[in-house]
Order: sequence, then structure tokens, then C-alpha cells
Amino acid sequence: MRELKNLAKRLLEEGTVKVVIGYEEGPVGVRPVFVTRPADAEKLVFNSRCVQNLAAYLSRRRGHIARLGKSAIVVKGCDARAVAGLIRESQLKREDVVVIGMRCGGVALRPSDEGPLTPETVADRCSGCESREPKLADHLLGELPPAPPKATRMFELMAQIERMPVAERFRFWAEQFERCMRCNACREVCPMCFCERCIQDKSQPQWIETSPHARGNLSWHFTHAMHLAGRCSSCDECQRACPAGLPLGLLNRKMAEIVRNRFEYQVSDDSTVPSPIGAFKQQDPQEFIK
Amino acid sequence: MTFSISDSGLNALVDEVIASGTTVIAPALVKLSAGERREYQKIGSAQKMALTGAIVSNSLKPFIMPPSVPLFRYTRAKAAVSLEPATGKAQAAVVIGAQACDIAALEIVDRVMDWDYHDEVWFERRKATTVISLACTQADASCFCTAVGSGPDHPRGSDIQLLRKKGGYLARALTESGKAFCSKYGSHFEKAGDDADRDPLIKETREKVETNLKIDLGAIRSFLTRNFEHELWNDFGLRCHGCGACAFACPTCHCFDIVDEPEGITHGVRRRNWDTCQTAKFTVHASGHNPRKDQNSRIRQRVMHKFQIYPERFGDVLCTGCGRCVRVCAGGMNLLEILKVLDKSAEAKS
Repeated sequence: MRELKNLAKRLLEEGTVKVVIGYEEGPVGVRPVFVTRPADAEKLVFNSRCVQNLAAYLSRRRGHIARLGKSAIVVKGCDARAVAGLIRESQLKREDVVVIGMRCGGVALRPSDEGPLTPETVADRCSGCESREPKLADHLLGELPPAPPKATRMFELMAQIERMPVAERFRFWAEQFERCMRCNACREVCPMCFCERCIQDKSQPQWIETSPHARGNLSWHFTHAMHLAGRCSSCDECQRACPAGLPLGLLNRKMAEIVRNRFEYQVSDDSTVPSPIGAFKQQDPQEFIK
Repeated sequence: MTFSISDSGLNALVDEVIASGTTVIAPALVKLSAGERREYQKIGSAQKMALTGAIVSNSLKPFIMPPSVPLFRYTRAKAAVSLEPATGKAQAAVVIGAQACDIAALEIVDRVMDWDYHDEVWFERRKATTVISLACTQADASCFCTAVGSGPDHPRGSDIQLLRKKGGYLARALTESGKAFCSKYGSHFEKAGDDADRDPLIKETREKVETNLKIDLGAIRSFLTRNFEHELWNDFGLRCHGCGACAFACPTCHCFDIVDEPEGITHGVRRRNWDTCQTAKFTVHASGHNPRKDQNSRIRQRVMHKFQIYPERFGDVLCTGCGRCVRVCAGGMNLLEILKVLDKSAEAKS
């Protein structure tokens, strides 16, 4: 932690960056902090409650943060995938951000979850994590902690849904989406949702109905999942932010699995590897074109 | 008029109300993949009620002002347009076991809905609903009802208020409609209750909430009036994603959008959907210009509306201290913290 505070302080003092986007202890759990003064680098923390994917704050939509000047960002391995995604998709130039990578032993489900990680409290994405040392980092800090405990919740639920006949599966999702109020928290916290104008906000024509009814909710959530296929960094922020408690991570996991099987592609923090949506290969499966 | 009702008496009462065909809305346990929570829900039996536990995660707003309300259906035939009402009359409903913050919110929103225009969509359901509140015996770090003129046992907005006591509840009938309800279901109410019997946890809860936040609302309002351009606003919105979950979870936020949804070339529905000032789209002009150009200005709007604009017009604040905006925020925004900073700044300026 001292290492992190010292580095942030130095980057700000040198003028290498104008803001360090990191984590602090908030009134109810760890939360994002934007450090602009070297003395405030003391606020920075890194621990298993640093749940948030801060990459969303690098998106062009966050004009009030961009205005602060060049930023350094504290990332876990999973967050680095989102930063790489923004670079891969030309939303951010590599040289415009200083990436402070943290070696990670997993995080909790919620930023207020105290105590050691257990299979009940650990975040779903930490199970079998292969990116506990972000490669994208300009500075890689900390000792590598032991691997986090494995949570099986999401995988069990996924397997359960896969076993369902199609009609039952549809019913499952219809019931879930019934709870959706269309606040759009899932979209706003998503680092990969950087469109200046979301398809949902286009009204001439209205491709997706904005009303929280069965039809509107289904078209929104399926479109969101499709737009994230091969792009989603699996941070599950959409799921954590959802006030209605929808298991949105499941949809994105399933899409990632399909992309992996069909296109031999897995989202990584290597921004030079093009994503299937951004590249054309003659060998791409195309048997559906008849 | 104070009665007393036992646990089993309340269950029998609820079942009788349900059997009579009236909708009953009460906190119930909901199991989600995200975990278990208490939610206001339409219940089918008294067994479903979960009157104690964590703070209820949703507000009563969806039951009075649903997230999407069809206003009317339209049909076009050449130049003529015909309209027909989209919904029938609101069903009679009874809310049981609601928190003070949620009940107070109904009265607060009433004033907006009956200000320059009498909003039938709101009042139709509002008038059809009898409200039975339950004084809170639990609070968390985000509760601050006592700082905004309410409290765990504040009766505001209740037709009947229940207060926990050993083996049952004290029931205070506070309005004509509450008294009528108590006499209609009189067989379940035992005898006159003694206020001294109330669970001491209610007082402890109040004390706990009081330590969460103490502010001078008048000073904050006056500070806000004079400091629209204060540098404080440059920091408040940084971690905010502009997602609007706060406004959707809020019992007093009431803004809406109106959309026409075609269901064919000649016909469709006009609907009223929840909206929020926290998104860029809320204020963007047809020209593309947006007077609230960033998240800092949108946060300022939310705070100003609740603690300056509404109070100027109606006297008290557009907030009941339920703390949901804090609990649902993915970015860790904290209204208690913002109010503390404003209170301190107001004090320094005076």
C-alpha cells in the first residue's frame, strides 16, 4: 500500500499525470477516488474490497474527469482487460494513461464486505482467475497474494439454465426482466458502453422501446448482451449496479463462451489482439449463411 | 385512537383483507441470485409478510406511480385520431408494514402532483390506497430520516401506525380512513393499547439514526440559494456514473418521460415512464446543446431540487432520509456526506 501511495504521489508531483483514479475507504465500503493533489495520495488503498472496475471513468463519456487532465488508473487484472478494450477500440491512446497494476488475490462481491474472502463472499469473476498480474501495467505493484477461494454460484446457475428446455429458459429470463425498471445503471457503469448515443436513446426510429415492459426490457437486455459479445471484460459491474438484482453477468458469460468456442477468442489485456467484431477472417464460421 | 393487535390477529386481518379482494402490499422476502432482500410486494397471504429485517430495498413508489403507465391508446384513420383510456379504475389496496420514510414520501409527492396540475394518474392509486405504517426497529449506516424532519416512528402519511410491542402491535388510527378501517376489521383489534408498551428498540433506532446525520436544513437551503456556482460542485459528481439508480430507488423522485409506442401503422399507446435528471439525455436539446453538460451539474440539480427548489415552493424537503440512494450507488456516492459538507459550508458562511 505504501508503494501505491508513494507512486501516486510521485506521478502527481512530477506532473506525469494530473489525476490518479484509485480506491479509498468511503463511509460505507471502499469506493472510487480521484486524487489530484500529491498530499491526497495518502487516501489510496488496495484490498479485497476494491470491487469496482474503474476503467469506466476513462470512457470519453466522462467529460468531467477527462477535464482534470492526464490520468493514472489503479487496475486489477480483470480491470486491465477493460482498459485494453478501450485502447483496442480507439477510445483511448495507450500513451494517454498510466496504468498502475495491482497483483490481486481476488475481491469480494460488495465493497462493504469485510473479512477474509470465502466461497460465499468472493466475486464470481475471481474463480479460476488467470490474470491476477495485469500485463498492461506501466507499474506493477504488490506481492502476489494466494489465489482466492472458488465461488461456484454463477457457474451452477449457468449450468442449470443450460439444462432448461428453451421455453423454460425463456420463462426464467422473462421473470428476471420483469423486475427491470430501465434505470440504465447496467449501461452507465459498463466500461465498454462508451457510445455517445446509445441505440436505446435513438428515437427516429425507436429501435428499442424505453418502457419497462416485457417487450422493451427483452430487447434492451439482449441488445446489450449482443453488443458486448467478444468485448465484455467480465467485471460484472452491470450486475452489481443493478438495483433490481438481475443476474446480468450470466448473459455476458454465456456470450463470452460462445465467442470463445466460435472464434477462438478470449478478451485479454493485450490491446493489440483484435476482437472478432473488429476483424475479419476468412475462416470465421459462416455456415449460417445459406 | 389507539388499539392493540396480536401477531396472530394481524395475520388473520391481512388474510381477511386479501380474501375480500383488496390488494395487500407488504414487505416480503425475495430470493435473488444477488442474495436475499426485503421488498414491498403484492402478497397473496399473510405468511409472506416479513415485517422485520433489513431496510426494505424498494420504495412504495412503484405501487402509486408504476415505472410505466399507459395513458391512452390511439388509433389513426386518415386525418382523424381517436383516443381511448388505456387502463381501468385503480384497484383498492392496503399497504401494511411500510417504513416511515416511505409513507412520508407519499405526502411529499402529493404536493407536486396537486400543484399547477392535479395529476389523476397519481391520485387515482393514491386515493385507493390505505396506508398502515410500522415504526422501524432497525436502521443502518445510510438511514437519516431524523435529519430531514421524519423519524423511525414518525406517523406522517399513515392512516394507521403500528408500533411493535411484546407479542403484537399497538395500532394508532390517525385518519378518518384509518378509523374506518379499524372499525371495519374491528374483530381483530383487542383492546385499547398503552403507548408505554412500545418496543424500546424503536427509541434505540431513533437514537442510532440521529447519530448518522445532524444538519441544519434551513442553513443548507439558504447556502444553496446563494452558491449555485460554488467550487464544491466540481467534486461531488466525479465518482457518479450518471446511472440514475438513485432516482429510481428514491421514494420522492417523481420525474417522468412520455413516449408514444406504435403497435402498428395506425395504432399505439402513449405511456408515462420513470425518468431521471442524472442522465445526459434528460436535458439535451434538439440542437444538441445540453445546459447540464456534465455529471457535476446533474448532481447539483439533484441536490438543489431536493434541498432548495422543492423547499422554496412547499416548505420542507424532497427527501425522507431513507438512504436508498446510498445503498444502490455503484460509485459510492453518499448523500449524507454531501449534506454534511453543505452544512459545514453553510455554517462557515453565516
